Amino acid sequence: MPSRQALFWHPRPYDLPASDALFLRAAADNCAYHIAHCPGYAAICRRLDFDPKSLRSTEDLARIPALPTLLFKREALFSMPERRMAMRVTSSGTSGTFSRIGFDWGSLLAEVPMVLRLGARHRLISGVPAHCVVLGYQPHRDNHAGVTRTMYGLTFFSPPLSRTYALQRRGTSYIPDLDGAAHALERLAASPFPTRVIGFPSYLWFGLQQLEALGRTVRLRPGSRIILAGGWKEHGAQEVAKSALYAAAERVLGVPPDHIHELFGAVEHPVFYNACPNHRFHVPIYSRVLIRDPETLAPLPMGEVGLINLISPLMTATPTLSVMTDDLGYLEPGDACGCGIPSPALTIVGRVGMSDIRTCAAGAAELLGKGEMG
Amino acid sequence: MIFAHGSLLPDSRLPGLLAGLEGELNAALAGPPLPAETVLAALDALGRRLAAGEFDALLRRFLPAGELARLGEVLPLFTRDVLEEKLRAELGPERFSPRERRQTTARFLPLGVLLHVAAGNQPGLGLFSVAEGLLTGNVNLLKLPREDKGLSLAALSLLTEAAPELAGFVYAFDLPSSRTAELKALAGLADGIAVWGGDGAVETFRHLAPPGCRLMEWGHRLSFAYLSGPPAAQELDALAAHIAATGQRLCSSCQVIFLDTGDFSAARAFAEAFLPRLERAVLARRAGPWESARAALSGYTAFLERVTAGREPGEAFFRGRGCSVTARPDRELELSPMEGNVLVKPLPRSELLPVLRRQKGRLQTAGLLCAEEEREALTALLARAGVTRITRAGRLSDPFPGEGHDGEYPLRRYLRVVDVEN
Repeated sequence: MPSRQALFWHPRPYDLPASDALFLRAAADNCAYHIAHCPGYAAICRRLDFDPKSLRSTEDLARIPALPTLLFKREALFSMPERRMAMRVTSSGTSGTFSRIGFDWGSLLAEVPMVLRLGARHRLISGVPAHCVVLGYQPHRDNHAGVTRTMYGLTFFSPPLSRTYALQRRGTSYIPDLDGAAHALERLAASPFPTRVIGFPSYLWFGLQQLEALGRTVRLRPGSRIILAGGWKEHGAQEVAKSALYAAAERVLGVPPDHIHELFGAVEHPVFYNACPNHRFHVPIYSRVLIRDPETLAPLPMGEVGLINLISPLMTATPTLSVMTDDLGYLEPGDACGCGIPSPALTIVGRVGMSDIRTCAAGAAELLGKGEMG
Repeated sequence: MIFAHGSLLPDSRLPGLLAGLEGELNAALAGPPLPAETVLAALDALGRRLAAGEFDALLRRFLPAGELARLGEVLPLFTRDVLEEKLRAELGPERFSPRERRQTTARFLPLGVLLHVAAGNQPGLGLFSVAEGLLTGNVNLLKLPREDKGLSLAALSLLTEAAPELAGFVYAFDLPSSRTAELKALAGLADGIAVWGGDGAVETFRHLAPPGCRLMEWGHRLSFAYLSGPPAAQELDALAAHIAATGQRLCSSCQVIFLDTGDFSAARAFAEAFLPRLERAVLARRAGPWESARAALSGYTAFLERVTAGREPGEAFFRGRGCSVTARPDRELELSPMEGNVLVKPLPRSELLPVLRRQKGRLQTAGLLCAEEEREALTALLARAGVTRITRAGRLSDPFPGEGHDGEYPLRRYLRVVDVEN
C-alpha cells in the first residue's frame, strides 16, 4: 500500500499539518482494504454508515469506526490469512485475556523508517556497543507477547555486547531473577562499555528500591541509558511518581534523568511513541489521537479527560485503523510543553480496568458459550 | 499476607505455617467446641461497629471507590437478629440440640475444617462465608480472592481482637489460584470446601479436593426481571436503580428484562422508554469517568460483537449516557454486557418454563413486576421453572433474613449428623 509507505517515510516525524493529507489518504486506503478483506470490519462500517471515500478532512477521522481493544480480545478479526502474515503477537493481557494481532510484512517495512527517525531524534540510537540488562521477559518462540519482542528489538539500538534477562525462561514458565540482574549491573559498572537497562517501569522501581535498601548502588558508565517500555500495568498498584523513579535511578545506577527514555505503544497500535525531555508523549505523524467522552464516546475538545482513541493506517493484517483503548487520558497543545516538539502531547491518566471485572454472572455465561443458546 | 492465630503474618511464613497446620487444626478440633453464642456475639459486635462507620476510614484503604457502599449491602447480615433468624430458618427451632429418634440420638456436629474459596465480585463475601463456617463451629481456612486488597484480613483481625477465642478457628491466605501445591495442601486438610465463583474455580477445587471431601459449589447464577401488564413507574425506577447499583455484576443482578408478550415491537418500545429511567439512575450514582467509561465500553463492544457476528440486524440498540438498553427478538436468558447495559426480550408466560429450563442449575433470582392478583400464579410458574428467589422490582440483590442460598440451606451442609445408639 504505497500511501502507507509515503506517510511512514515522511521526513518530519512531528509535523502533523504537513502530513495530514498523506495520513488521510493512507487511512482511507487502509479502511477500504479492511472492508474488502475482513467481513466483520465491513459489517461494522456498514452498520455505522461509514464510507472511507467520505474521509476528506482530519475532522472526518472521528467517524472511522473505533474498535475497542476489548473487541480484539473477544473476536479474531483479521484481514489476511495467517500464512501471509509476518507474525502474530498478543497483548500483555495481565488478566488472562489477550488481543491477537497479526502483522503484515508491509507494516514491518513501514516501521523501519519510523523507528530509525524517532530513535535518532530521541538519541536512542548509538554506534557505541553496549551491554543490555532487560527487566522483562527472555524471548522464546512460545512467547508471543508484543512487549517481549519490543524489548528484544530495543537491544539493537546500539550494537549489543550482552543481554541479561530478569525474567528467565525455565521450562514453560518464567521465573523472576532480579538478583541476577543486580549482579549483572554491578559487573557491568566495571565494563569499559555503557549499559542499557530496558524494562517495565514497575520492575525498575522495585529493583532500585531493593538495591538501595541493600546499599548496592553502582555507577554505570557515562552514556548508559534506561529505556522504559510496557507501562506500569503489570504491577499497577505500585505506580509511583515519575520524579521519584528518576531520582532513584540517578542515586542507585548513576543514570541522569536525560538518559532515561520512556516509550509508549500498544500491540493494537504499534506506533513508536517517545517521551520528550519533559516526559510528554507527543503524537508523531504516523498516529492521530482522539479523546472521547466516557459517557457518550463523542470526541472531546483538547484538554478534557476521556477514553483514548488511537488511529494509524499502519496495519493491514488486522483492522486496527482506529482503536478505542481502555485508557483514560487527555491531550495538550504541543507548544505548551516547551520542548520544541509542535504536535499535541498525550498524557495517560490510567486504565479503566475492563478485564479486571470478574463476575459470577459472567462465569455462568462462559459455560453457556457466551450466554447464547439460540 | 496471612492471617493466623489472630494476627497478620508475612507471606514468607507460609511454608512453616503449612508444615504445622495439620497439628494446629487437630488441636482446635480436639479442644472445646465453639459455642454458637460466642460467634453470634462477636459477629454482631463487629457488624455494629462496621455499620456505625467506625472503620470507614480504615476500609477506604482496602476498597476501590464506590465499593464501600456495596459492602453496606452485606453488613445487615452481620446482626444478631439476622444470624439467629438464619440459624432458626436453616436448622429449625432446635438449632444444634440433639434430636431423639426411636433408638438413637442424632447429634449435630461441625463438619470439621472448611476451606472457603471466596470470589471477588462482592466485597465482604469471604467474611460472610467464614461467618457461616464459624456459626456451625467449624475451623475455617479462607482463600482470599485477588480483588481483596485487605478488607477480609482487616475484618478478621477486628473480629478475633474482640473475641480472642475465635482466633484458633480462622486462617486466611492470600494465595493466587496458580499456587496449586499450597492449595492442594489446604484442600487435603479440609472436610469440606465452599467454592464461590466461576466455573474455573469450581473445576480447580473439584480437582484439588480429595475424594470424600464435601464440595459446596456456590457457582455462578443468572437473574432477570419479569414484567407482566403495565408496570408502575416507581417499580421501573426501582428496577433501574438496582441495575445501576449492582453494575449487573452479581448473581442476583438483573441481566434481562423479560416482558410477558410475544410481540417484539412491544419489547422495542419498552426498551426505548426504559432508557431515560436507567440513564437517570446511572448518572445519579456514577462516581467518575472510570465507571462511565467501563459502562460505555461494555455496551459499545457488545454491540460491535453482535454486528461482526451478523446477529445485530433485527435488534434495537438504544445508547444513553453511560448505559444502554438493547431489545433482542430471541427469548433466551443470557448474560448482558453488564455495567448498566441491560437486555429486553419478549417472553410470553406460556413459553416461560421451557425457556428457563434450558438454563437449569444456573437460575437464581426473578424480580417480578405484575398486578397483585397475578402475583401468586406467576410466582408459582417461576418457581416451577427453577428460579430459587423471587423478589419485588428492584430488590433482586437485597439480602433477606433467613433466606436460602441457591435453593439450599448452607448451614446444614456445614454440619454432619452423628447418630448415637441409645
